[in-house]
Amino acid sequence: MIRQIIAITLKELKVLWLDREALALLFAMPMFFILVMSFALEGVFEAGSKGHPIEILVVHQDGGRLAEQAIADLKRMEGLILIETYEGIPLTSDKAEQLIGRGVYPLALLFPEGYTEQILKNANDPRKGKAIVYLISDPAMNLQLLATVKGAVQGAIERRVLLARIPQRLKEMFGTLGGTEGQLDNMLEDPNISERGRSGVDFIHTFPKGFNAGRRPTATEQNVPAYTIFGVFFIVLTLASSFLQEKKDGTFQRILAAPLSKTALLIGKLLPYYLVNLIQIAMMFCIGVVVFGMKLGYLPALIIVSLALAAAANGLGLLVAALGKTEPQVNGLSVLLAITLSALGGMMVPTFIMPNLMKTLSLFTPHAWALAGYHDIIIRGLGMKEVLTEMAVLLGFASFFFVVALWRFRFSD
Amino acid sequence: MMNTSILIAEDLWKSYAKTDAVCGLTFEISRGEFFGLLGPNGAGKTTTIGLLSGLIEPTRGHVVIDGVDLFSRPMEAKARLGLVPQNFALYPTLSARDNLVFFGRIYGLKGKRLRERIATVLEMVELTDRADQTVATFSNGMKRRLNIAVGLLHEPDILILDEPTVGVDPQSRNAILESIHALNQSGVTVLYTTHYIEEAQRLCHRVAVMDQGKIIALDSPTRLVEYFGKGMIRVEFNAGIDDMFLDQIRLLGLVRVVDDQRRRIHIETDRTDQASKKLMEMMETREGLLKTLDISEPNLETVFIHLTGKNLRD
Repeated sequence: MIRQIIAITLKELKVLWLDREALALLFAMPMFFILVMSFALEGVFEAGSKGHPIEILVVHQDGGRLAEQAIADLKRMEGLILIETYEGIPLTSDKAEQLIGRGVYPLALLFPEGYTEQILKNANDPRKGKAIVYLISDPAMNLQLLATVKGAVQGAIERRVLLARIPQRLKEMFGTLGGTEGQLDNMLEDPNISERGRSGVDFIHTFPKGFNAGRRPTATEQNVPAYTIFGVFFIVLTLASSFLQEKKDGTFQRILAAPLSKTALLIGKLLPYYLVNLIQIAMMFCIGVVVFGMKLGYLPALIIVSLALAAAANGLGLLVAALGKTEPQVNGLSVLLAITLSALGGMMVPTFIMPNLMKTLSLFTPHAWALAGYHDIIIRGLGMKEVLTEMAVLLGFASFFFVVALWRFRFSD
Repeated sequence: MMNTSILIAEDLWKSYAKTDAVCGLTFEISRGEFFGLLGPNGAGKTTTIGLLSGLIEPTRGHVVIDGVDLFSRPMEAKARLGLVPQNFALYPTLSARDNLVFFGRIYGLKGKRLRERIATVLEMVELTDRADQTVATFSNGMKRRLNIAVGLLHEPDILILDEPTVGVDPQSRNAILESIHALNQSGVTVLYTTHYIEEAQRLCHRVAVMDQGKIIALDSPTRLVEYFGKGMIRVEFNAGIDDMFLDQIRLLGLVRVVDDQRRRIHIETDRTDQASKKLMEMMETREGLLKTLDISEPNLETVFIHLTGKNLRD
């Protein structure tokens, strides 16, 4: 049986090798996406706009009015949704870190205890002691997006601090010269007032506990895995077309007339596509490392996620081969699945900026789990144990695809 | 040697949702025999081939190849079979040799033995000098020959050929028939399906006539013609004929085939000479109506029409 499987695999590799255009497309397509998207489309995401609001967790430990006011201001800002409770309970810093660590939310804002007091106490001289606001972010969050959101949040908080401090300082300086409160307030509402630099608030940006905080994700580290997964699933088209061709030509019938089991035929037939997928993944990550200087993280973990990802892609390929009766059906279904699942799984737009329904739906794609696995390893610096869930889910997808495919599969038309 | 059965089909049925594609086939093929399965499209020939080569599971019944039950010990039984399907069933982007290497390995051939068998079958089908060309560049005749070569690679005891001459030019067809005949002469049992009557008549020791999933007659071509053969007059008219004229024609013999427009009829008769003479007399009063007239003496095709009421090539 092993010899027969090898014979089928070698034949298939030879057939694939002879169709170089198709093979080139399989490798060139994700490569093209990685290069073009990484260089050209960086920062184009609309995240943080009115249509695609960013959800920010708020941990309010202060209890003072300045934190309250800043939160109220931020709530009024377009493109931001502030979440102060989780499952009805006010957020704690541990809970927020946990939610970010799990990739549920991308960002948290923490106003520590004594925040308001600290600002008001040292209103005259912020250098005496600055208040601190913590910004906790998912290491996998797009850098440009983070910078934009951070800027907006910082601006809103500082403005509120200024508003609180300046009257006190002005009153101290000019209290004896007269003037009304109203005039003062009007003057203070002027956004051009240039006191921000000395607002007395320090923003400390951290990652959730246990995450590698020493290194920030780059665009490549986000795009290479995403477009690799996108490309890997294009094997569905090549694989399903090849099965259809064998059925059409009658070669399956001929092989099955030989003393050979259907299992051996399927293994021999799928193995080369599995290998192609692995080579594809290796090549894409090589480009990431060589061209963009990307760090890969813990390699064994990367390998098991890749093995599970390729299994899911091959399973889907067999499923399409089982469902598609004609060439246009197979082509249409393959492209539809490759594009739709990629978009839904967060290959093109990160899932955390998607509406809740889409976010939930993304969990039904192998793409989202594979990307989560890659991000855990490459960006969050996690190891084997932490990606076992992603690997198990990917293998679950693979098993589901294979079982349904084998149930529906016919070796002849 | 002719007295030992190499293939036994016993009460073989294949039913699909609403139809029975094969209904209770029972027959035996002797070692060294050239056995023909004759029937029009849709008669159940390809399903029968699928059942006999283990590609289709029967609804019930047995197939025994050289004493081995095909469905309980498929690996052993299949190793004794060689299948030449109706499709080319080849990899067009690979060379003839690569195709043979692949299928040879599937049958467990390797190394020197594989190389020797490839050389032998290539010579047998006269493709030695084209061995390293891709199959896509081959003519239909060459593809048919390679298709047969693949079936012969592992030296099967019985070779099953499903319409092996469809779509080839007369010259290639003749070459194919000769090589299959030579194979049978060398001791290989052949099961051959065709709807070309002359092929069956020329090659087969025995012919099973199939219609609607059943074998309706089984004997040597000579005896089938002897028992069931009738002469046949095929007439084609320039216009549809009326009821009265059709009734007059019925007096000449048994009218077997009438098309919808009544422009084409087949008359079955023991005395083709008398019937055709009378028909010509009747045509004298109907000037311009007769388009063609074709008279066949009893042969396998007239046997088939006699048995089924259908034309073999419909």
